[in-house]
Amino acid sequence: MSTLKFSKTHEWAKIDNNTAVIGITDYAQKSLGDIVFIELSKVKDKVKQAAQFGTIESTKAASELYSPLSGEVLEVNKDLINNPQWVNESPLEKGWMIKIKIENSSELNSLMDEAAYKDFVAKETH
Amino acid sequence: MEPKKTPLYQKHLENKAHIVDFSGWALPIEYTSILKETRAVRLSCGLFDASHMGEIIVKGSQPLDFLQALTPNDISKTKSGQLRYNVFLNEKAGIIDDLMVYNLGDSFLCVVNASNINKVYTHLCKAKLEGKYVKPDNVEIVDESPEISLLSLQGPESAKVISEIFGKDINNLKYMHFVQLNFENKNIILSRSGYTGEDGFELYCPNSIAGSLWDIVLEKGKGHGLCLCGLGARDVLRIEAGYPLYGHEINDDTNPLEASLDWVVKFKKDFIAKDKLKNAEIASLRVGFIMQTRAIARQGYSVYSKDKIIGKVTSGTFSPNLDKFIGMAYVEKEFSKTGTSIEIKIREKFYKAQISDFNFIKPRTKRGL
Repeated sequence: MSTLKFSKTHEWAKIDNNTAVIGITDYAQKSLGDIVFIELSKVKDKVKQAAQFGTIESTKAASELYSPLSGEVLEVNKDLINNPQWVNESPLEKGWMIKIKIENSSELNSLMDEAAYKDFVAKETH
Repeated sequence: MEPKKTPLYQKHLENKAHIVDFSGWALPIEYTSILKETRAVRLSCGLFDASHMGEIIVKGSQPLDFLQALTPNDISKTKSGQLRYNVFLNEKAGIIDDLMVYNLGDSFLCVVNASNINKVYTHLCKAKLEGKYVKPDNVEIVDESPEISLLSLQGPESAKVISEIFGKDINNLKYMHFVQLNFENKNIILSRSGYTGEDGFELYCPNSIAGSLWDIVLEKGKGHGLCLCGLGARDVLRIEAGYPLYGHEINDDTNPLEASLDWVVKFKKDFIAKDKLKNAEIASLRVGFIMQTRAIARQGYSVYSKDKIIGKVTSGTFSPNLDKFIGMAYVEKEFSKTGTSIEIKIREKFYKAQISDFNFIKPRTKRGL
């Protein structure tokens, strides 16, 4: 069974054994607004926890995407490049971005679970 | 500094607007989606709060002579009940601000950018005191910005909404014309104009009735697909129409000729810095561009031809109405021809683009009911 973890920079990671699928949260897509451009790391790239793995642009601004975990990129959601609106429509499903092989599972401890992330967002909006 | 609030601020909160600080004003950047709001203005209609804009009245016995001396467009051609686009020039022929000039009969209303209200007001007061163009006693400058709200209804369905409120005759009002009307016992200005390239209306009213005017436009607009719109949509729409925005395409160091605003410059009349402008060497021109791949080229990005920098981007966006990434830039004259291939550097990568006429969407401003 997979578990969902969240970073302070509003990315989520769906953990399944030693792999993680990564995207941005519903709160993130709402504050960014209409997504019109996405650029992602490539398969076999190494990503580092809290380091950039891509760029996302809405009609309002360009933002960096930070990886919640370190690891090697196994898969990239290529269809997202031509359908960036999927991040708005379905941030946790169709809007997934990359899948990585988790390099260091102890990094999971620094991420939040769903309840903790909810509290974090509630605080940030006040 | 706490951003200023327009009289419609509470309405924006009620409608769950996403509020941002825009040059010192707390205004909606969007209500739900910039793309949705932008489309609505091209397909039905959209309502904007533009109350941050400045309204400066020039009156006295010689307001026309005074304004003629400070601007390159010929205001003597603007009859009472008409408005025209113009720019205030400094002594180097740079643009102090762009504006709409309304001929009120015995005085003129200058509608200026929010961020430039103080600069323009100071410039006008200085020019008055210097008495170079008309005697100081013959002109009076009044900044009415703090008392006036501006609502803008834009889109092909706007005329139907406005007719339901103010009567069918309103539809005879031509583009770039205005009337003064009574609403809740107050005088308002209703002009057929806007910043979107669509048919549309702008309503200037005292702050005290802005809320009720907003409510009735919203209520009558419901049957015509009215969508509340923020500044995000306003920006995309003006880029689609190729309209310059102060601080992006124009500023104190750009002259109207390089800004491709030649039609605003009437060399047959006298105006400040006319000789400077006549003899100015135009090295770069404002152009439009269309990206050949997905990518937003934003203000400040460099434009290249082969390995050489030939210009700078001034605005860039995604146009939902064209389904293309578009923008405006200044490029060296020899590269300004429509169809010229260029490259724009975005985050250390080069993206292909093509020079285009900046009227990406041709004006559709003269529709009837």
